[in-house]
Amino acid sequence: MADAIAPSSGLALATEGLGFVYPDGTRALEGVDLRIAAGEQVALIGQNGSGKSTLVRHFDGLLRATTGRVLVGGEPVGQRHVADLAHLVGIVFQNPDRQIFAGRVRAEVAFGPRNLGMQGGELDERVTAALQAVGLAGSEGVNPYDLGYSRRKLLGMASVLAMATPAVVLDEPTTGQDARGVARVREIVARLAAAGRTVVTISHDMTFVAEVFPRLVVMRAGRVILDGPPAEVFAEANWPTLATTYLDPPLAAREGTRLGLGATPSEASLIAALRARRAT
Amino acid sequence: MTTDRPTGSPPGPPDFVLQAPSGAYLSLNPATKLLVAAVEVEAAFLVGTWTGPILVLLLVLASAAIAGVMPRLAVIVAVTVPIVASIVLINGFLYPGAVDVFVRIGPLAPSVSGFLFGLQITLRLLAASLALAVAYLATRTDDLLSDLERRGFGRRATYVIGSAIETVPRTVDRAAEIVDAQRSRGLDTEGRWWRRARGIVPLAAPVVFGALTEVEERTMALEARAFSTPGPRTVLRVLPDSTPQRLVRYALLLALVAMIVGRIAGPLGVLP
Amino acid sequence: MSLRLEGVSYRYAGSTATVLSEVDLVVERGEVVGLVGANEAGKTTLCLVAAGLAPATIGGRLQGTVHIDDLATAAARPFELAQRCGTLFQNPATQLSGTAPTVWEEIAFGPRNLALPLAEVVARVDEAVRLLAIGDLVRRDPARLSGGQAQLIALAGVLALQPAYLILDEPTSQLDPQGTRLVGDALAALAAHSNAGVLIVEHKTDLLAGLASRVAVIEAGRLVAAGPAADTLADERLPGWGVQPPSAVRLGRAAAAAGVSLG
Repeated sequence: MADAIAPSSGLALATEGLGFVYPDGTRALEGVDLRIAAGEQVALIGQNGSGKSTLVRHFDGLLRATTGRVLVGGEPVGQRHVADLAHLVGIVFQNPDRQIFAGRVRAEVAFGPRNLGMQGGELDERVTAALQAVGLAGSEGVNPYDLGYSRRKLLGMASVLAMATPAVVLDEPTTGQDARGVARVREIVARLAAAGRTVVTISHDMTFVAEVFPRLVVMRAGRVILDGPPAEVFAEANWPTLATTYLDPPLAAREGTRLGLGATPSEASLIAALRARRAT
Repeated sequence: MTTDRPTGSPPGPPDFVLQAPSGAYLSLNPATKLLVAAVEVEAAFLVGTWTGPILVLLLVLASAAIAGVMPRLAVIVAVTVPIVASIVLINGFLYPGAVDVFVRIGPLAPSVSGFLFGLQITLRLLAASLALAVAYLATRTDDLLSDLERRGFGRRATYVIGSAIETVPRTVDRAAEIVDAQRSRGLDTEGRWWRRARGIVPLAAPVVFGALTEVEERTMALEARAFSTPGPRTVLRVLPDSTPQRLVRYALLLALVAMIVGRIAGPLGVLP
Repeated sequence: MSLRLEGVSYRYAGSTATVLSEVDLVVERGEVVGLVGANEAGKTTLCLVAAGLAPATIGGRLQGTVHIDDLATAAARPFELAQRCGTLFQNPATQLSGTAPTVWEEIAFGPRNLALPLAEVVARVDEAVRLLAIGDLVRRDPARLSGGQAQLIALAGVLALQPAYLILDEPTSQLDPQGTRLVGDALAALAAHSNAGVLIVEHKTDLLAGLASRVAVIEAGRLVAAGPAADTLADERLPGWGVQPPSAVRLGRAAAAAGVSLG
């Protein structure tokens, strides 16, 4: 279990003046400048259509910039094939049923690493480690569709973890998950962070991102409108900006402001602030 | 939503729902449009070698212009260009038994008769498919379904036809997501062909599973909206029809039969 | 007059696993009952059974009885059930008929299926539009709506059948925060202004806290808790049952554990 997520040097991801227009003319991204350092954990938040999914698809080459540049590991992506970039950036998509095709859990997880050229003993180890990391170690021979939706989502995650990419993108990892599933996702993110990997998540769950990610990037209509730690993004000063895109700060932030404690986006920070006040 | 109506009469559906399509071609009864398309399709294949397809294409373009569906038709034409091009090329280069070959390069033997043959096939296919396309584009799906229901087609059959076309864009979107997910797992879709062939199951299986799940969900949603109630549904708007149109439809049905006879007996086959 | 499940056990067709065991649940007219539980605990199955879709549409073996007012679901036909109990599912896209060019006609789909007189169809569509305040959407193309809007139209389509009961299976799980708020507000308005009995399954316990008067918890096919919403959502066993309590409850508990107060 200790090696379930092996240490890595992470990967820097960046965009410079990134603009993207879909073939039908929709402008999905406008002048996005974003710098993610190697080993950083960032959450992208915003309504559907704000450009979050479009943005992350540039990191592994699924989409090519219309204007501006995308840099992976400091190098411009250019026209590198997706199959190449898949060694560096792994994306876990929201709907596991849009990728599951194998008859057995193990074969499903092995697909990604095998495409990357892993074989034999190394491949087996990676698959086993990934299954352990998501809690599916006992289900190797099971048909994926005999697992419930929650566990199929975790299977999707294992499929990408097994590829051991220095950067991992999670698209809505907690949507449709129950409490145990959410707890497992938090654990996986923590382990990825501890292993030094770059983690980018897209999420609608304000509490989840406030409690787990040290940096939040808020998007609206293809642009970045806020970028900073949760305490800053959910601070009262930014509530009007958040309101323009119909986002509500988590309860902890609202309670903290109500009680005059300053910015307390997470449960832990709110409790700490209350204790500090009581001590004075 | 409902506008001025004589006092005392029961409220009807809003204007934008009742709006009868206007225009020479658009206002025709759906059955008329379908029969016209059927006659056009038959003519494209049975009348001469070039006369049929060319006449039908001209007729189709004219009705598309009158109905105002040229832009959407142009999109459909654009989609068929690769197919058309490949038919012309394959026949042009590989037509067996051609005597007017200008050069041989390996198995390739381009010939004038080959290209002409290819062109002829594509004209027929284009004429037939565009005839159907114009009929579809110029008819409201719901009107078509109501008309079919009135003529005795079961509700389920008409619904399947009507919704089949609507599900295509969604299936395309779903397929695109599947392709994205598998490519992100290293599936090679840009490299050598033998590597791309490995991708068939990972790409096709989720599409199939997804389609099956969707069928299940849609069935339940339909039942939850009383879809399987026996008997005909309430008609929202009365479809335009008239005696002249009815007569025209009988004439068209006769034409369908006459063309087959004409082709077998000879005269239509003699045309250029 | 109520929606009653008595001693209900259920197995899907072709399966030997019992998904629901001995479930007793009552939903009265005018009340909103929330249902929570871990994934695969049987929430969706319970919805299908309560609406009568199981076994009428999907088969399977039902033991015990389900009554929607005076109609026993075991012997009823789907269109009879649809008029008494409306069901809303998670995915907006698969619930729209796909054959209506405007939202108005989409909502009219259900009443038209029932072969109601045209005036009645119009009245029902207008009523559903009024209840959900979607008058500005009636001319739109249903295929071009946002997820939240599409879900509202699907709800309107179900309401147009004027059912006495409404079953909502994770209606906001596929929606973004704006869509969730749109549907949440519409449900609150519905609860306030109509007499329908509502059963709503949700992971978002914050949403339920504001909407439900009673909450039931399902675990491994059995109801393990049921009671007033405030009490059940504050039950300490909830995390053990795979359910995340509402934010307010979690914060309150964390504060109490740390010896501070949220004043």
